[in-house]
Amino acid sequence: MASDFDRLIAKRLRRRDFMRYAGIAAGAGVLASCKKASTGASPASGSPRPPIAQEPGGLKVFDWAGYGGGEYYPKQEVQVFTDPYKAATGDTPTFVLFDDDDKGYTKVATGNAPYDVVHPCAYRFKDYVALGAVQPWDTSLIKNFSQLSPLLEQFGQIDGQQYFIPEDWGYIAPMYNADHVQPQEDSWSLLWDDRYAKRIAWINTLEMLVIAGYYNGVADPWTMTDDELAAQRDFLISKKDLVSFFWDFSYDFWLKFKRGDVWIGYAWPDAYGYASAQGMNAVYMQPKEGRIHWSCGLGLFADSQNYFHAHEYANTWSSAKAAAFLESYYYYGHANTTVDTSKLPTGVVKALNLDNLQAALSPPLSHPESWISRRDVYQQYWQDVKTA
Amino acid sequence: MDSADDARRWRRRDRASTAGLLSGPLLWLLLFFLAPVIYVAVYSVGGIKIFPNDTGVLSLGDWKHFLVGGSVYMGLFWKSIRIALTVSVIVVILAYPVGYFLALCAKKRKYVLLLLIIAPFLTSYLLRVLAWEVILGDSGVVNAFLSAVHLRSPDHPVTWLLNSQFSVILVLAYVWVPFVALPIFVSLDNLDGSLLEAASDLGASRLRTFLRITLPLSLPGVIAAFVFVFVPTIGEFVTPLLVGGPRGYMYGNAIADQFTKSTDWQTGSVLAMFLLLVVAALMVLFGRYVRVRSVAA
Repeated sequence: MASDFDRLIAKRLRRRDFMRYAGIAAGAGVLASCKKASTGASPASGSPRPPIAQEPGGLKVFDWAGYGGGEYYPKQEVQVFTDPYKAATGDTPTFVLFDDDDKGYTKVATGNAPYDVVHPCAYRFKDYVALGAVQPWDTSLIKNFSQLSPLLEQFGQIDGQQYFIPEDWGYIAPMYNADHVQPQEDSWSLLWDDRYAKRIAWINTLEMLVIAGYYNGVADPWTMTDDELAAQRDFLISKKDLVSFFWDFSYDFWLKFKRGDVWIGYAWPDAYGYASAQGMNAVYMQPKEGRIHWSCGLGLFADSQNYFHAHEYANTWSSAKAAAFLESYYYYGHANTTVDTSKLPTGVVKALNLDNLQAALSPPLSHPESWISRRDVYQQYWQDVKTA
Repeated sequence: MDSADDARRWRRRDRASTAGLLSGPLLWLLLFFLAPVIYVAVYSVGGIKIFPNDTGVLSLGDWKHFLVGGSVYMGLFWKSIRIALTVSVIVVILAYPVGYFLALCAKKRKYVLLLLIIAPFLTSYLLRVLAWEVILGDSGVVNAFLSAVHLRSPDHPVTWLLNSQFSVILVLAYVWVPFVALPIFVSLDNLDGSLLEAASDLGASRLRTFLRITLPLSLPGVIAAFVFVFVPTIGEFVTPLLVGGPRGYMYGNAIADQFTKSTDWQTGSVLAMFLLLVVAALMVLFGRYVRVRSVAA
């Protein structure tokens, strides 16, 4: 078959000509792609904005898998995130989902994100702004903005402007099954406790280096030097044999935790929420080194043609109704502080320390998940751990 | 004169129709294979700038670091080669009897049986792989059985069954066997039966006939089968991702991670181009030993 094809080419189209045409076409493709990549994130023009009635609508939201897609709570998500927005604008949003922040950012950075709203987490905020991919919000157009926690609002502020509206937040902390595990102390050390070899799950991100940094007493694990990173890398490599698997999706971790394949893991609050709902004897630890807290927010793409629609959508997300949903179903926190915590499941209030948000989201109880200026260097060290 | 003109017209028409027929596939290959490969190749030497941390300056630094700078990825590459070799050998050994039975023993039922063998391909690849998680997990079928027959305590299951190199090799072998039985089957099915009869008439034993006639004549199918497994397995990343755990991480996973979890696409491009070059070289090498017609149905 292959030889027939070769003969055909050789006979009908001289090979040199073929290569020449192929080169021209391929070169044109490369140049076209380069141009596209470099113009993917253009800044907003200075032209006056049309009123909402003249906007095209069809708001496109670039969001985390799970949100919007309705994989976990389809009915409730429509009621909370879509219906109020539809009632306010008459528009129906569409969702494009990403698996994690790195994948989401990568897609935007390559210029392949023709969307209106994006929902990254705080450690990526500066990267989006540096790309010129997002524009500041006009918070006066978001009625519920005044109900949001000022502490969380500040994470979305860059150069004095509100580039991201803070919405959901949560912790990163060790979780364990108390039927099988008796920690010697409340510490991240449980993630490498050799009494529980092969019953431990780590996350598949470079944050394991940060966790190791906190455990090993690094002053600021978000700005580690090469020597500090190398020390955390070597430490994690020495403990890697204790690990059953690295999780990419919190739900995967939960499924293995539920099956009993693992008893201990780096966990987000949703996993604890699932375990609590199933009546498992799970403990969401407050390690002595402090938890890490993450927060995510909505960004408005610089070239969005749905400026006012996007603000209405952010307003919907910022409502107390949205907050109650996230807290009750996902066990995630929300920036809206007007939720009546007495109506929430008691487990979530305790797990998230909702009674005292200011203390809960400050050291020593928790450290903010921060922007890492040398993220690619961290990533390389984490790759070393995985390949070792 | 008229007939000469007709012949010329016919040749012109023939050339035009050939060019027309070829233009679509060629354009497809140019746009969706060659252009992306060139793009990645240019990226690998820093000729393209997408992310703020890209230099955009032409340099062979990443290539040099990968090839001679003690990069961890070179070790990972050899690990993947080792896994791919193991899987390929196991698969060929398992698939050969299947192909042999179908071609030389199954007679009229061979195509029905062939259909049954390739039936797993009609189901989702993900489902087939994930099913192994249920079988091999700590609370899975194998460990439950070992526990039931008191060979292991439920609290101390065999943990290396899943999330290990073993599980990657096992699952890949399972996935490939039906596929790889096909070229072996075709190779054996095309075997000239009179050679086997002649060997029998001349008093050769069945083993001697197999070793001297059947096996040598089916070698193109065996080599093709080996290539069919070996080449894609080097760059495999889905199966290690699902059942490999920390120890089953392969070269393909590193490439995927560079493009999805990191913005260091230049390193990712180097890794991808290196794999492409190695695979191309292997294809050329294997091509010398495999006649495509001899294994094509």
